[in-house]
Amino acid sequence: MALVPFSYNTRSLFVRRSATLLTVLGVGATVAVLSGVLALQQGFETLFSKSGHDDIIVFLRPGSTSEGDSIFTLERVQTMMKTLPDFALNEAGHPLVSGESYLAVRRFKLDGGETNVPVRGVQPMSFEVVGDALRMREGRRMTPGTDEVMVGRKLTDRVQNCQLGDVIQFNTTPFRVVGIFEHDGPYASEIWGDRDRMAEALERPVFNRVVAKLKPTTDLAEFKTRMESDPQVPSKVMTEREYLMSQTEMLSGVLKGLGYFLAFIMGIAAVFTATNTMLAALAARTHEIGILLALGFRPLAIFVSFMFEALLLGLIGGLVGCLLTLPIGGVDTGTMNFQTFTEVAFAFRVTPEVLITAVTFSLILGLLGGAWPALRAATMRPTRAMRRE
Amino acid sequence: MTCVSPKVGHHASLNATPKSLWASLDLRSEDAPTLSGSTGAGCRLHVLVRLNVLLWPVGRQTVSLAPMPPLRLVLKNLFKHKIRALLTVGSIAVALFLLCVLRSLVVSLDAGVRASAINRLIVQSSVSLFVYLPESYEAKLRQVDGVENVCRWNWFGGIYQEPKNFFGQFATDADTLLDCYPEITIIDGSNETFQKERTSCLIGKGLVDRFGFAVGDTIPIIPTIFQRRDGRAWEFKVAGIYESSKPNVDQSTLFFHDAYLDRALESGDAEGPRGAGLYVLKTRAGADHTAMMSEIDALYENGPQRVQTTTEAEFQAQFVSMIGNVPLFVGSIGSGVMLAILLAAINTMLMAAREQTRDVGVLKALGFTDGRVFGVLMIQSLLLCGIGGLIGVGFAKAMEPLFVQFLGTMFPGYAVTNDVMLAGLLVTLGTGLFAGIVPALNAKNLPVIQALRATA
Repeated sequence: MALVPFSYNTRSLFVRRSATLLTVLGVGATVAVLSGVLALQQGFETLFSKSGHDDIIVFLRPGSTSEGDSIFTLERVQTMMKTLPDFALNEAGHPLVSGESYLAVRRFKLDGGETNVPVRGVQPMSFEVVGDALRMREGRRMTPGTDEVMVGRKLTDRVQNCQLGDVIQFNTTPFRVVGIFEHDGPYASEIWGDRDRMAEALERPVFNRVVAKLKPTTDLAEFKTRMESDPQVPSKVMTEREYLMSQTEMLSGVLKGLGYFLAFIMGIAAVFTATNTMLAALAARTHEIGILLALGFRPLAIFVSFMFEALLLGLIGGLVGCLLTLPIGGVDTGTMNFQTFTEVAFAFRVTPEVLITAVTFSLILGLLGGAWPALRAATMRPTRAMRRE
Repeated sequence: MTCVSPKVGHHASLNATPKSLWASLDLRSEDAPTLSGSTGAGCRLHVLVRLNVLLWPVGRQTVSLAPMPPLRLVLKNLFKHKIRALLTVGSIAVALFLLCVLRSLVVSLDAGVRASAINRLIVQSSVSLFVYLPESYEAKLRQVDGVENVCRWNWFGGIYQEPKNFFGQFATDADTLLDCYPEITIIDGSNETFQKERTSCLIGKGLVDRFGFAVGDTIPIIPTIFQRRDGRAWEFKVAGIYESSKPNVDQSTLFFHDAYLDRALESGDAEGPRGAGLYVLKTRAGADHTAMMSEIDALYENGPQRVQTTTEAEFQAQFVSMIGNVPLFVGSIGSGVMLAILLAAINTMLMAAREQTRDVGVLKALGFTDGRVFGVLMIQSLLLCGIGGLIGVGFAKAMEPLFVQFLGTMFPGYAVTNDVMLAGLLVTLGTGLFAGIVPALNAKNLPVIQALRATA
């Protein structure tokens, strides 16, 4: 079957450039909204999922969903540290296990308004458990047992009193900022201080989670089941990666849902516009279609030709949409993580997946918008079509 | 109104039409010139015959006096391409629907702030939302001058069956809740039963709509903060169903006795933090809130837990602020939608105008002033957008209950308000004006001869 030369379509798009441009921009705006929301979701999810380690183990109280609602008493944490034989040892022979406290504190933003910032009380061993993932950017680590804190890099330009040398007040106790640290994950939006000093300042004597490294020989699945029914300290055991992934579920779900809901609704409008444009293109070329048919082109070839034109229109729209989205990649933003009710900062990520989704979506728009006009073109009678001006 | 046809030739303004034009037209009326022969006359004739029928609202007087565009012509032009008109109206309707929904979401964030009562103050920890204030604070707060009543609120944070069924539960002071919150009315069951039975609860009518609860039912709530020793769920028996007349009280909350929680914590049947999440103060008429707020904050300046006392409006605004960038995101999405509809509308109007170029020439030849030709195209654009806008805004309003049901927990107080609808219609109007202006101006400035020569 002889196909209608594709240059026929590309030229047609060019000749009708104002309509082409408007349609392309309309599809582009739709695609940009979808990929923008997806870039937000990717940024948020990557922050959590990519920064988690499989060799770091998190203990929570059974039934709790995050460290915000998990509680361990001092005795339980001590029992756990003393009795469990599964922890890996550091060079000095101490078990790599650390109890942490966690509280979302109210802080004022630099640009006005309030936000909730996680404050983590850590024990000296926490640094050995977390290891190299935490990098000091300015100043030094806080000294255990003192009223010093170190602040995550993402907080310094968003939240008040978070620069090196500043004083942060928790309840009635002032803490001095002695360091700024960098982390690829959510820790970069946290304030870290000494666990015991925090417990006293905040009047919260409890621990919220325990982090540890296990001996390489430990069977994790077996360990999980064993800890669930541990007679002394029953606990929910997860790897850090699993824990962080579980923290993103709610917001990721909301963002994905929102993205596809918007794309669906706006897609309807975009398909309508594309159909309109293609119908106008069709109306203007009825005579030509008659000639093409008379020349011996098959209806299927006419159909393919118009479909190609619509798909091309969609594709250009999709590419424009992607171009509109690219500049937001890497832009820092913050959003409320509903799981812990704290604000977490991250950057939009325009990943290949986002772009592929966007382009696929734009092709679908072109396909849906072009199908009916193409069908109409293909089913024209040559004699009648040619009679039209 | 008199019909122009068939006495077109006698029409005052038509007489001003150049004779050369008449020479190419056959009007088939008794006293109009009956000339024909030039190429294309048949088609033009067709146009004119159609115009004769269409021009009915244009009386002899109105032509020269009132520049009202002929509505019927506008409508016929508009729906000459039914599919195109429908698709355009459809895309504008969809976009306006989306704009109204997005705007309503943003507005609903502030709904609680705007509906806040002026006779309530909130005492909370100045450190964190998750820090509990000592129970001993209540007695001291009652002694503060201006305080009429105090109600404790404690966030329970449990789960009904599974996490996606999220709704708020608060342990509260059953004796003072309704006195402090007169906007809450019991629509089924009774407050007396609630006050009498320690394991009972009040639930909002939103929960009845969502889960079909009824008075007398027992609702099991799986704890996340207050674990029970027996490892089981907490059970609350529904004593009453409430409705709130204002959006500052969520319609999907479960209130139960703080005494129920306290006793379980005391006896060791459950474990979890002790204390109060918030104290809500009902103040006397004429109380000096500023003085009260500083007095209360000063009471606990040196601990054990510092407090921050705010008006209810400030308290609600604090949550809006904590949600952070959400309004910005929604705003950016809204501008994307606006751009898309504007482009769709402009696209259609350009297409329509291109096809009507020759009609424009004929209208001008018939003596339509430039201004009226402008009006014909402008009104088409406004009507097209207006119909789409009305459908979209109306649909957003019609879908309101559905959105309340699905988004109620995240956006309590979701409502498509009159302001939102008005804004939607203004956007529609703006789009119509913007989309119509270029084609209408082009038509206005187009020389008659050039317009008549145009091929569709």
